[in-house]
Amino acid sequence: MSASTILNRSLFTALLAAALCAAPQFALAQKRGGTLVQITQPEPPTLASYLSTSGPIGQVTAKIYDGLFEYGFDTKPLPSLAESWTVAPDGKTVTFKLRSGVKFHDGKPFSSADVQFTIMEVLKKVHPRGSNTFKEVTTVETPDPQTAIFRLANPAPYMLAALSGYESPMLPKHIFGNGDIRSHEFANKPVGTGPFKFVEWRRGELVRLDRNPDYWRPGQPYLDRIVVRFIPDSATRTALLEKGDAHVAGFGAVPYNDVKRLAALPSIEVTTKGYEMISPVVEITINTKKPPFDNVKVRQAVSYAVNRKFAIDNVWFGNGRLATGAISSNFKASGLYSADVRNYSVPNAIEMANKLLDEAGFPRKADGTRFEIIHDITPYGEEWQRFGESVQQQLVQVGIKATLRYEDVPTWLKRTYTDYDYFMTSNFLYNLADPVLGVHRSFHSALIKQGTVFVNGSRWSSPQADDLMNKASLEPDAAKRGTLYAELQKITVEAAPIVWVHELLFPTILNKRYKDVIVSPIGIYGAYNRAWLDR
Amino acid sequence: MPQSFWRRFIRNRPAAVGLAFLVFVVVVSLGAPLFFAGDPFGIVGKPFLPPFGAYLFGTDSLGRDIAAGIAHGGRTSLMVGLVATIVAVSVGTLLGAFAGFYRGWIDDVLMRFTEFFQTIPTFLFAIVLVAIMSPSRASIVLAIAVISWPPIARLVRGQFMATREREFVQAAICLGMTDAAIIFRQILPNVLSPIIVAGSLMVATAILIEAALAFLGLGDPNAMSWGFMIGAGRSFLRDAWWLCAIPGIAILLTVLSINLVGEGVNDALNPRLRTL
Repeated sequence: MSASTILNRSLFTALLAAALCAAPQFALAQKRGGTLVQITQPEPPTLASYLSTSGPIGQVTAKIYDGLFEYGFDTKPLPSLAESWTVAPDGKTVTFKLRSGVKFHDGKPFSSADVQFTIMEVLKKVHPRGSNTFKEVTTVETPDPQTAIFRLANPAPYMLAALSGYESPMLPKHIFGNGDIRSHEFANKPVGTGPFKFVEWRRGELVRLDRNPDYWRPGQPYLDRIVVRFIPDSATRTALLEKGDAHVAGFGAVPYNDVKRLAALPSIEVTTKGYEMISPVVEITINTKKPPFDNVKVRQAVSYAVNRKFAIDNVWFGNGRLATGAISSNFKASGLYSADVRNYSVPNAIEMANKLLDEAGFPRKADGTRFEIIHDITPYGEEWQRFGESVQQQLVQVGIKATLRYEDVPTWLKRTYTDYDYFMTSNFLYNLADPVLGVHRSFHSALIKQGTVFVNGSRWSSPQADDLMNKASLEPDAAKRGTLYAELQKITVEAAPIVWVHELLFPTILNKRYKDVIVSPIGIYGAYNRAWLDR
Repeated sequence: MPQSFWRRFIRNRPAAVGLAFLVFVVVVSLGAPLFFAGDPFGIVGKPFLPPFGAYLFGTDSLGRDIAAGIAHGGRTSLMVGLVATIVAVSVGTLLGAFAGFYRGWIDDVLMRFTEFFQTIPTFLFAIVLVAIMSPSRASIVLAIAVISWPPIARLVRGQFMATREREFVQAAICLGMTDAAIIFRQILPNVLSPIIVAGSLMVATAILIEAALAFLGLGDPNAMSWGFMIGAGRSFLRDAWWLCAIPGIAILLTVLSINLVGEGVNDALNPRLRTL
C-alpha cells in the first residue's frame, strides 16, 4: 500500500467528518452521559491483555488501552494513536507518525518510547500471539517522540492487521517498564490512553470504567461510565438484557435459542457484525498420525459424513455460515478467500464417504461397522455436546462407530496438543485478522509444537503447503497473496486434516437506546469511544 | 414369616401401587431394546416435534425420539442406582459390622475414617470424583457408592453394638464360634431389616444423584439417561417444555415409587407395627 493514498484518504475522511459534524442534525445527534452495562462471560482471569489472549479480557481492556490502529468494517486500518504510516517499497521498514498531545490516564504523555517498549519488551516477548505477529521486527527506532520506525527482517504485511487496542495494546513504559512484566502490580489496574479509565474490579461481580475527560478525541467518549458485569447463570444474563438492565453482550453470552426471543423484543437489536477480524470457526481436528486417520481417504470420508448444515440449523440454531475450507469467507473482501476447493457438502455425501472407506480398505463387517474410534468433544458447553452427538450419528451412517468422550478443558488440551492421544476432536479456533495469525498455525510444520495449545494438533503438513504459507507471509501484494492462499485452501481441503464445519456467527445483543456501540470488525473488543445513549 | 410379610406389604395400598409402578418401569427399561430398537441417540425425525404426534413423547432438539430415550434412559438410571447401592451397602455393612462388633481401637479407626468421608459435602465430592475420573458409567457408580456408604456404616455399627450384648450372641461366643461366623451368621441376619430399608431408599437417592450429575453434563456421554435428557433440554424450557418435563416426571414417579416400596418394606418388617 502506498502511504500517500492512505494519507490522502484519511485527510479526506477527516474533512468529510468535519463537514458532516458542522451540519446541525449531526451536531445534535450524539448526546453526552449515561452508563452502558456490558455483560462479559466468563469473568476474565486477569486484565493483562498484553500477557493473555483469553477471550473475555479484551472485552474490558480495549476500552482502556488504545492501539496504533483502528479498523473499518472492510478490515482496512484507520488512524488511532498512529496518525499516519508509511511502508517502504521493500516492505522492511514501517514508519508510524504518532499523534501528539496524547496522555495516559495518569497524566504522563504518550510517545514513541512507549511504542518501542510495548512492541520490543512486551508483545514480542510475552504476548501469546505477539511473538508470531512481530517476529520479523528487529528494532523499533525512535528518532523523535512522535515517530516510531519498525525495522523488519522480512516484509510482514499481516502485522498491520494486528495493531488494534485489543490485539496490541500500547502500554505506558513509565509504569510497565519497572518490575516484572509477567506479574506486574498494574496488571489488574490498567493505565492506558483509551476513552475510559479503570476504576475498580469487584471480583465475581463487575469492572467499572469511567469516562476519560482528557481523551485525545475532543468531545469523546460520550458515555460517562461503562460497567462490565460477570453473571455466571445464562438465564439471568438473558433476563437482564430483556429487562434493559444490561445493554450489550456478545460471544455466546446469551444461549443461541434465547437469541431469537430477545431479537423479537422492540427494545433489542441483534447483530452478527463485529466479528470480521475474529472469524471464529467450528471444526473437527483429525489426528493424521493415528491410524486409520493417516489415510487421506478416511479423512475425506469423515469430511463428507459430517453434516455441516445440520450442525448450523439444529445445534447452533442458524448462527453459522457453511465453511468451505481453512480461510473464513470474511476474507473475501481482502481477496484471500477461495471457494474453489473440493466440496464436501454435496447431496450424495454419505454415498461418497462409503465409497472412499471401501476404497481405503475398510469394508463393513457383519454388524455394519467398519472400525471403531473415540470422538472427543470440545469441553466448551452443551452445544458442543450436541454437536458431538450429531457427528456420532452421522458417522454411524458410514459405518464408523464413535464413542464420545467429554473431559475438562486442561485434560482435553493436554490430550490434543501434548499427548496427541486422540482420533478426532471438535475444536474452535479464530482466523483472526490475517491468515498468518490465525490460519497457518493449524497446519504449518513449524507449528507442530508439542505442548503449545491451538497450533497444529493434527500434525499434518506438507512441504508444498509450508512453502505457500512462507511465501504468503512475505508477499506484500494482495492479489498475489490471494493466489497463494487459493492454492493453500485447495490442497488443505483435499488433504482434510481438519473438517471445517462452519463459520460461527456470534450474535451480539444490543439495547437499541445505545447507538454506535459496534462500529468496527472487532465488535465488543472495540473502545466504545463513539458509543452514546439516546435519551 | 415371608407370607405374613407379603400380606402386610400388599395391604399397604401406597406400597402396592409403588411396587406395581416400579415393576412397570423395570419391564419397560429391560425391554427397551425390544420396544425401541436401535440407538436412543439416533436422529429419527425433525427436531422439537411435540408429544403425542408421530412420536409418543415427541422429539428433542436434535430430533431424537424422547420415548426411546425414556426407555433406554431408565436402564441407565436403574442400573446406576442399583449397582451403586449394592456397592455402598456392602462396604458400609462390612465396615459398620467390624466397628460395632470389635469396638475399641478398630471402632475408632473405622469411624474416624467414615467421618472423614462424612465431612465432605456429598454432592460436591461426587462431582469432583467424576470430573477426575472422567465421566463413564463405572466412574459414576463408583462416585455414588463412595459418597453413600458412610450412613450405612454408622447404621450397621449401631445395630451391631446393640445386638452384640444380647444373650444369643453371648451364647454363640461361649460355644466358641468364630468371629466371622458370629458376625455373618448370628448378628447380621438379625439386623438385616433396617439395612434393607435404608438400601431401598438409597436406590432412589442414587438415581437422583446420577440425574443431577448428568444434568450438569457429567453423565456418561454414551449412555442415555433421564438426567442427561433434562440437562440437554433445560435451555429449551420456554420453547419446548416436554424435553424436560417428560424425563422429569419419569424420575419423579420412579423415585416416589421406590420410596413407597421402601416405606412399605419398613412397615412390614417393623415388629411394633405388626397388628395381625
